[in-house]
Amino acid sequence: MQTTVASEYSNEIHSVPIEHRFNPYSDNGGTVLGIAGEDFAVLAGDTRQVEGYSIQSRYEPKIFDVGDNIVMTANGFAADGVALIDKFRQQLKWYKFDNFGGKLEIKSAARYIQHLLYGKRFFPYYVSTLIAGLDEEGKGAVYSYDPVGSYEREQCRAGGAAASLIMPFLDNQVNFKNQFIPGTDGKEKKPLKYLTLEEVIELVRDAFSSATERHIYVGDGLEIKIVTKDGVRTEYYPLKRD
Amino acid sequence: MNTISQRFTHANTNDVANEINTVHDSLSHKQTLELAPSISVPPISQPTDFLRAHTDDASNPDCKIKIAHGTTTLAFRFQGGIIVAVDSRATAGNWIASQTVNKVIRINPFLLGTMAGGAADCQYWETWLGTQCRLHELREKERISVAAASKILSNLVYEYKGMGLSMGTMVCGHTKKEGPAIYYVDSDGTRLKGDLFCVGSGQTFAYGVLDSEYKWDLTVEEALYLGKRSILAATHRDAYSGGSINLYHINEQGWTYHGNHNVGDVFWDIRDQEQSFVNVDG
Amino acid sequence: MAGLNFENYQRNSYLSTKGFATPRATSTGTTIVGCKFPGGVVIAADTRATSGPIVADKNCEKLHRLAPKIWCAGAGTAADTEMVTQLIASNLELHALSQNREPRVITALTMLKQHLFKYQGHLGAYLICAGVDPTGAHLLSVQAHGSTDIGKYQSLGSGSLAAMAVLETNFREDLTKEEAIKLCADAIEAGIWNDLGSGSNVDVCVMEVGKDAELYRNYLTPNVRSQKARSYKFAPGTTAILRESVRDILDVEETVVSFDQMEVDTEA
Repeated sequence: MQTTVASEYSNEIHSVPIEHRFNPYSDNGGTVLGIAGEDFAVLAGDTRQVEGYSIQSRYEPKIFDVGDNIVMTANGFAADGVALIDKFRQQLKWYKFDNFGGKLEIKSAARYIQHLLYGKRFFPYYVSTLIAGLDEEGKGAVYSYDPVGSYEREQCRAGGAAASLIMPFLDNQVNFKNQFIPGTDGKEKKPLKYLTLEEVIELVRDAFSSATERHIYVGDGLEIKIVTKDGVRTEYYPLKRD
Repeated sequence: MNTISQRFTHANTNDVANEINTVHDSLSHKQTLELAPSISVPPISQPTDFLRAHTDDASNPDCKIKIAHGTTTLAFRFQGGIIVAVDSRATAGNWIASQTVNKVIRINPFLLGTMAGGAADCQYWETWLGTQCRLHELREKERISVAAASKILSNLVYEYKGMGLSMGTMVCGHTKKEGPAIYYVDSDGTRLKGDLFCVGSGQTFAYGVLDSEYKWDLTVEEALYLGKRSILAATHRDAYSGGSINLYHINEQGWTYHGNHNVGDVFWDIRDQEQSFVNVDG
Repeated sequence: MAGLNFENYQRNSYLSTKGFATPRATSTGTTIVGCKFPGGVVIAADTRATSGPIVADKNCEKLHRLAPKIWCAGAGTAADTEMVTQLIASNLELHALSQNREPRVITALTMLKQHLFKYQGHLGAYLICAGVDPTGAHLLSVQAHGSTDIGKYQSLGSGSLAAMAVLETNFREDLTKEEAIKLCADAIEAGIWNDLGSGSNVDVCVMEVGKDAELYRNYLTPNVRSQKARSYKFAPGTTAILRESVRDILDVEETVVSFDQMEVDTEA
């Protein structure tokens, strides 16, 4: 004889299972952005590093001058990002020993980073990687990567927490997407042109101050590394700290 | 191994060098793998489950690492050779990661490979295939056949079967003994020779147009248009395809590139020209 | 029928087993505090509302009125704090009317905790409840499951640790009203700066015995948006127009009435 009646919900399956599995990843927030100009390239990133709802640091730079007029960032899981950049720097050093101090072209650096990322195809680096510099002709170059090493040269790219907030803005303001010449009835697109360094810096600052307004993982400070034929220069602008 | 470090270290006391040598020794019987890197694997019992949990956005929409996916690619044989047409969109989950991806890799002046599935897998292994083909040329003093090239790739992905690689590719080319040939190779290990393939999330839409308009006797111009039109149909209905269309034609002279065509512009041109897509405003 | 509707409960939990994500409520990240001083009580809150990592509202109101002199600060699910607070405010008004007395803070708290307990924590409301009534000034708090606390100073929400650090450091029994306001505002600011779930401005409400409650909306605004470096005005015609249609939303009919023809009765 049945003594207790099962409740209507007693056989309910929990929709969120308890996780026991290996989880070596965490998300340290932050956003990065790279834009290539005619004879320069910039890589910018906020300097906030987070874990959950806490700020781990208000100034932890994540854009690095890795040598040979190349700047690099790997945003996402900070430990993986640092590991990747360290690995690249170390290999660049060996490359120089082997090649009598010869310069590593950015396209070669780009291909090498693909190999670093793909080398961990089955245990990926949890990062979105960007590098910026000048190509063989002296033109600005930005290369962007997915976590396992698919890469592409681009005019501009945003990565990290607020990428989805910034990238549409960049499409519109750098590549003039969805902009037509007034009076042509939407028949003629606004022609592409290289932006000046001043315009690019303004766009970057506006992109970051706006992302700071609406994304909690972005803020504190904005550090921009600018690559020209004369070398790498750094600029810093404060962002809101709330 | 690095030449300078080699000079200043005793190989048997150097842990790193020993490790590298061990790996090299263990791989030395596989000639094709020599140029491939050793790929690291998480130190747990089921690396494949780990990878799926963290990177497969189809089975786990909340996964953190979203790998670029989604495509329409096609290639077909006809009287005048081969047409290859692809879109240029890369998606990671619902996010359009890029509209300017190059999904055709130029293996050599007579061989093309298309990319569908995991962007990195395709890009990496097809570049690698390029080096293997070049090595074949140097060793055998003749260009590699399409059959052999595609088999190198299919053998490679078969070694990784079940590990989570995701690729659907067409190796297209022209050699004297084979004429124009297309091989479909995917990450399951499938390798098929055929006249006409569409691969990717938009394949059904592309097949719809291609099958209904395809004839062996197409002129080159007609065939190029059909390739473009089929990809256009796919970009119109498949959210994971879009951006622009890259067109190639292959014949006995090798491949020729027929430009990058922005879908936004091509759509209105074709709509006006064909009087099709009349359900769309504009 | 009044109350919550559970019609879709089973359907939704079935759906979630099939991999459909449950919609996310605007919520949790918040800093709220309260502190007493001789003769009154102050509560304060930040004004950020988040949805995941996105700031949903930069200047929302987290200070709710339960009665003219009883106010409460809410953390947790935005919709729950809002609705629970409104419901209790209504019931409190009816209670005051039927008893013909001013409502008491402890009454409000009891009503809140009984209501929240009934829903076993499914209403995600975490409230700091304060006010003045005929028995004096009070500062109380209630958690989603129905448990309550009394204290001379309190903090709740994701920024509660940052805020409590300030309260623990600077609280004294003999604070003046101005000092108490300053302390609460400082505690909220600690949350604003150090907790990612909290941000923007500080709202303050002061309730003093024998006086009307005073709400200082945006008492501090330490996070004014900076001026943009560029102008983003587009020239008209930048966006392509695919189709245009103009609709009249009302019909205008004109009728001319001539007044000369009208007969006017001059005799009446």
